[in-house]
Amino acid sequence: MRIGFFINFKTSQMVKIYKFTLSLIILLCSAGMSLAQYTVTGEVTDERTGEPLIGASILVRNTTRGTVADIDGRFSLSFNSNESASLVISSLGYVSQTIAVSSNNTRLQVALVEDASNLEEVVITGLASSVKRSNLANAVSSVSARELTGTTTVQTTDGALYGKVAGATIRSNGGAPGGGVSIQLRGISSLVGASQPLIIMDGVYINNSFQQTGRAAVTGAGASSQDDGANRLADINPADIESIEILKGPSAAAIYGTRANAGVIIITTKRGVAGETKVSLSQDIGFASPLRLLGVDDWNEEKINFFFTTEARRATELARFREGNKIDYEDYFYNNTALLSNTRLNVSGGNEKTRFFLSGNITSEDGTVRNTGFERYSIRANVDHKLNDNIRLGFTSNYIKSNTDRGFTGNQNNSGASIGYNIAYVPNYFDLRPDENGVYPVNPYFAENPIAVTDHGINNSEVNRFVQSFNLDVDLLKTSNSFLRANVAGGLDFTQNSTMVYLPEFLQFQRNSANPGDVYVGRQESFNTNFQAALVYNWNLGKVNMNSQAGIVRLDFRNSALFNRGRGLVPGQTNLRQANVQEIAVNSTSEVQEAGIFAQQEANFDDKIIGTIGIRWDKSSLNGDKDQLYAFPRASLAVNIANFDFWQVGAISQLKPRIAYGETAGPVEFGNTFTSLDGANIGGLLGSVVGTQIGNTRIFPETATELEFGVDMGFFNNRVSLEATYYIKNTQNNIQSLNLSPSTGVSSTPSNEAALKNKGIELGLSATVVDNANFRWFSRLLYWQNRLNMTRLDIPLYTRGAFGTGLGTFLYAEGFSPTTIVGSPADASVTGGFTIWGDGQPKFTTSMFNTFNIYNRFELSIMTEWRNGGDNINLTSFLSDAGGTTNGWFDDDNGDGIPNGRQRPPAPHNNAGRWVQDASFIKIREVGLYYTVPKTTLSNVFGNAIENIRLGVSGNNLFLFTDYYGYDPETSTFGARSIDNNVDIAPYPTPRRIFFHVNLDF
Amino acid sequence: MKKIHSYIAALAIAGLVTVGCNPLQLDQIDDPNNPSVGSVSNNATRSQIQFVLTGLESIHRGYVTNVSQAWNTFGREIWYLNASDPRFQTDWLGQAGRVPDRNYFGFASTGGNSYATPYRAILQANVLISAAENTNSISAQEKDALTGFAKMIQGYQFMIPANFVYDNGIRIDVADVLNPGPYVPYAQAMDHARSLLLEADQSFSAAGSGAFPLRLTPGFAQFNTIPALRQVNNAILARVNAYRKDWQGVLSALEDSFMDLDGDLSRGPAHPYTGPPDAFNPLFYVLDAAVNTIIVVHPSVLTDTIPGDLRVKEKFFKRETPVTVTTDAAGALIGTHQDLRWPTNTTPITFIKNEELILLKAEAHANLNQATEAVEAINIIRNAAEIGNYTGATTQEALIDEILFQRRYSLWAEPWGHRWIDARRYDRLDEIPTSYDQGTIFRQFPHPQAEVSWDQYVSD
Repeated sequence: MRIGFFINFKTSQMVKIYKFTLSLIILLCSAGMSLAQYTVTGEVTDERTGEPLIGASILVRNTTRGTVADIDGRFSLSFNSNESASLVISSLGYVSQTIAVSSNNTRLQVALVEDASNLEEVVITGLASSVKRSNLANAVSSVSARELTGTTTVQTTDGALYGKVAGATIRSNGGAPGGGVSIQLRGISSLVGASQPLIIMDGVYINNSFQQTGRAAVTGAGASSQDDGANRLADINPADIESIEILKGPSAAAIYGTRANAGVIIITTKRGVAGETKVSLSQDIGFASPLRLLGVDDWNEEKINFFFTTEARRATELARFREGNKIDYEDYFYNNTALLSNTRLNVSGGNEKTRFFLSGNITSEDGTVRNTGFERYSIRANVDHKLNDNIRLGFTSNYIKSNTDRGFTGNQNNSGASIGYNIAYVPNYFDLRPDENGVYPVNPYFAENPIAVTDHGINNSEVNRFVQSFNLDVDLLKTSNSFLRANVAGGLDFTQNSTMVYLPEFLQFQRNSANPGDVYVGRQESFNTNFQAALVYNWNLGKVNMNSQAGIVRLDFRNSALFNRGRGLVPGQTNLRQANVQEIAVNSTSEVQEAGIFAQQEANFDDKIIGTIGIRWDKSSLNGDKDQLYAFPRASLAVNIANFDFWQVGAISQLKPRIAYGETAGPVEFGNTFTSLDGANIGGLLGSVVGTQIGNTRIFPETATELEFGVDMGFFNNRVSLEATYYIKNTQNNIQSLNLSPSTGVSSTPSNEAALKNKGIELGLSATVVDNANFRWFSRLLYWQNRLNMTRLDIPLYTRGAFGTGLGTFLYAEGFSPTTIVGSPADASVTGGFTIWGDGQPKFTTSMFNTFNIYNRFELSIMTEWRNGGDNINLTSFLSDAGGTTNGWFDDDNGDGIPNGRQRPPAPHNNAGRWVQDASFIKIREVGLYYTVPKTTLSNVFGNAIENIRLGVSGNNLFLFTDYYGYDPETSTFGARSIDNNVDIAPYPTPRRIFFHVNLDF
Repeated sequence: MKKIHSYIAALAIAGLVTVGCNPLQLDQIDDPNNPSVGSVSNNATRSQIQFVLTGLESIHRGYVTNVSQAWNTFGREIWYLNASDPRFQTDWLGQAGRVPDRNYFGFASTGGNSYATPYRAILQANVLISAAENTNSISAQEKDALTGFAKMIQGYQFMIPANFVYDNGIRIDVADVLNPGPYVPYAQAMDHARSLLLEADQSFSAAGSGAFPLRLTPGFAQFNTIPALRQVNNAILARVNAYRKDWQGVLSALEDSFMDLDGDLSRGPAHPYTGPPDAFNPLFYVLDAAVNTIIVVHPSVLTDTIPGDLRVKEKFFKRETPVTVTTDAAGALIGTHQDLRWPTNTTPITFIKNEELILLKAEAHANLNQATEAVEAINIIRNAAEIGNYTGATTQEALIDEILFQRRYSLWAEPWGHRWIDARRYDRLDEIPTSYDQGTIFRQFPHPQAEVSWDQYVSD
């Protein structure tokens, strides 16, 4: 079958005109021109600054010929006849120009205008092809390096996407160092797992799982979903990224098949540019402090007498109150200034044959809680090499070591090993601080002294990771008007995560347990490999440029985890062999194999009408039938009305209605087909116990269809552009556990029994408001909203998530969004039998980005985000109310003698509605001010030693405006979960980060 | 030139593609972590059956933690103080008028370890019975021994969901996973438990009189012969018959049980807890531990004691510092005493013991108006507790009062919720005090949501 492709494509040479727009290809086809009759020379510059545009591409229209501009922006191109020609001159980030040349016109001065609306940007849309944004039929969001990291330094790549992608709901678990961010594109596509997008970096399927650490086990919080581990995108150095493309739904991502239901994030890292070797050194130094603290309640004797109900206890408390220091524990634990440092060194360059980009990065960031922090060491080598005119090889290699200390925050049970949970119960007159001998007082209000845990507990994760990609392009056939290329690409991602959670034996809770001292040591390894082979054939059918591709894909995922626990430790020891009780806590492995076949046909009629159809077939070992192929078709059409000759409306420079349809799927979870006998140890024997899940050997992937349509418009030479999109995404066959009658001894079986509908609007308006030589103001406004509804639930409705109906949980019922928050009191008149208190989904989100260039020296950028609506379940308030420590607890607004802390609305003050709170907010996300030292000053001071100096100051999460009563309305105690990712339990407060930047180019 | 290039490239690609294997071919991936249930359904080996048997013992104790903490709270034998989650107080004590709903805290939508887990044990027992039946690797007598053991556990486990939902009734026909039978009233559920125990007795009687053919955990160390297991089976039957108010049946079952009027009152089969990889005793707490999650003795149990009662001395430990948990409904709950029954965190937990059997004897006699025999049995208990012979009235009502009182101390906080069940079967739930916590005494739980949902699913 593979060979067949070759023969078919090789023999179909019925094409006439060749036209190919990829600058990459041009680069490679430019050698060996002779027999010149005339030679065109020219210089390409930036229209505004006059700086030369190194690497700008010059292509002879309708041919494969071209060249690139050199270090001074100059080029030269020879023609072997006297016929005139058209040159298309383009450069990344600029609007391309077409200029007629002839033997009479051989000297060109080309000034390219910055492409504010990104129409020229090349967007990866297929597995082996890309398309110019102005021809795109989908609303694909692109985030350039400049947008991603140009304003400020954000710790993780996902954290840097906040507010930059219409349609993305991004939420962080809390402010702990090292990440922990969930991204949901266009609502929720899956009810199991986390509904997180597939992430592909340089063609490698990279691991972005939230990995287990054991924190929840050691602190008693519960299942590993409450570990508050970081997601592993945190390992990728954001500064290595050239661009991120976001395929938000099936209509754009269909060619990715089974894993694309929640969208695809395609990360492309930086590559070298031929020319002089450039060395760039950047140093950021910054400080972090909490974005928002709430304060704790001040106690008085009246409150003590109210709160404590027995005389004996009152006497004790009053004595403590009268002699004690007053300590604001929130301030004590959280309000520290953390030092942040980020050092980057890039070396890039190359020649015609070989280009390279080398980068090294050291990120060292403390947390605002003592003994927490994040360190990342990353080295990267991206090398591109031309073996000859026809064969090109690309390699990217990235080794990362990241080391995260996240401390102890969030949920816990019994152990007291969570700062926020613990201090919710400690009145401010009791001093928990160690005495002069370093002895920590026993905390009489909770099971543990949280200061001792902060000082001596360890919650560490060390990741060693290697990501390697390769890409091989072979030109099999080149004629004047057709082009056949084979592409073989793939890569691997090996991630090893060593975790340790340790609570030493002298801690209060440990001393009071049978085996004091607890260490939980984990090793997780994941090994992803992927491979694809494709043939891409570009040819012309009349005036229509055709791009055909077909190929195969193979994916393999292997994971293993081993966690051991030791209790009853020798003092100061963390080795498991130093434990009295040694236990294998977790040992699991999984293996997944997937394969697919794809074919895609693009047709471009003179950049006027662009259509694409494609299909992918996938099979997976996760499915009930591993050999069943599932088909995922797509089709799209874009019409550039303004490119037609009849279009005479000068003010409207682009008018592109577009429509796209596609299908994708979400994978079945590993193990859904198994009916297992679990191991159970008892009394020195091993037992085999029937598991609670019956496997479903007919389970199949959750499939989704999406219809997206919209219009892209450009006004005044695209100085103003508008992108408007409406989508309807239907997921059918959503996997749900069919809960069986518990009397049968098994609790559930996976089934494809639900369907969801996400509908939404995405709007983007960008404009270069002012465009003078000395002042430029660019502004972009994004708006998006999504409405989710469960359109089918063939299993009985149920509630699930968070902590049950008493504190607010989620309703899974037909006709409701599963993000609906319900809870006590019971209300038989409502579907599900409980009162509806809120909805986790925002009503809309909007962000605004403004950047000002002043005298080409100063650049000021500001990004704000406003999320309207969406409720959280705020159990931090629940805890501090229970402990009497909420700021203002003893106030009595209605004067009825019952303090506010015992009487949270709504009446009768005993329902779940008390903890469901509106999480609307406005955040000043990013502000950056940069100054580029003038070239003349530089050469006066440094001679030629330094080419460029850029200085800056910036901030991240500078301000938060919200009525929500918590550290941050964006929080999730459960990490990435599809539905209940808005539960607030004593999180690590989000930091405000302020940086100073120095960037030197040599 | 170009052609040659093309062929080289084509070969290179074909080579890469076919390295090792066809990339479009997927391997069959079986569960790498566990054997499948199917692996024991036919021709199971002796060791596979052993694993399923031990698995049954493992699930057999699945109810212990939840029932000990919750049911003993419902009967106010204890408070399970838990500062980390106020719902252990507010919801379990029924504060502010809370009453159990189908999704009640601590029991989830399946009834959790008070409902779903006992049924898991029942299913596991069925798997054991069919694995034993469908193999030739063990003898017919061995099959009978295993069947007897499995049905004995089923008889015991059926009582747990039945007592949990009580008047609401339970399903007893649960062999077909996708087709469970209807709910039957409590009395019928108890009859079903009885008939399982009778079948178990028959199987045991066919299994000979030697040692139990496969290994049991140390929990059955004193009962690992066929005759001894028969005695355990009859002890359980005595409990069932008491719930059935079949007093003659209680006495006859006791006859064949391990009841020993002169013997160690604490003797009985147990759930072992040996520490990792096994679990720890879930009821163990370090004495005087400065923690705020702990089982404490309910104040009413302390107030009602008879001076000098040895049981009080042996079971209750007065703490240096009381444990206090504040709730918004009733202020502070103060636990002055903790559970002293467990010397270590690997102490086994007995699930039926001689002391209960003697009390059942007393109760049966009292209900049969055989006052003398009842008092005799009561006195065995009283003398063991060093509180002297019974001197009160010998009317049936007085004797029942006395027996229920003795049961409060003899069976205090056993993993069964005796007080709650006893008060309910004698219609005395109103005697359980709520003044210490302003709570509510529950009568029973509704069917868990998952049951209701299943019925909906089937009817749709």
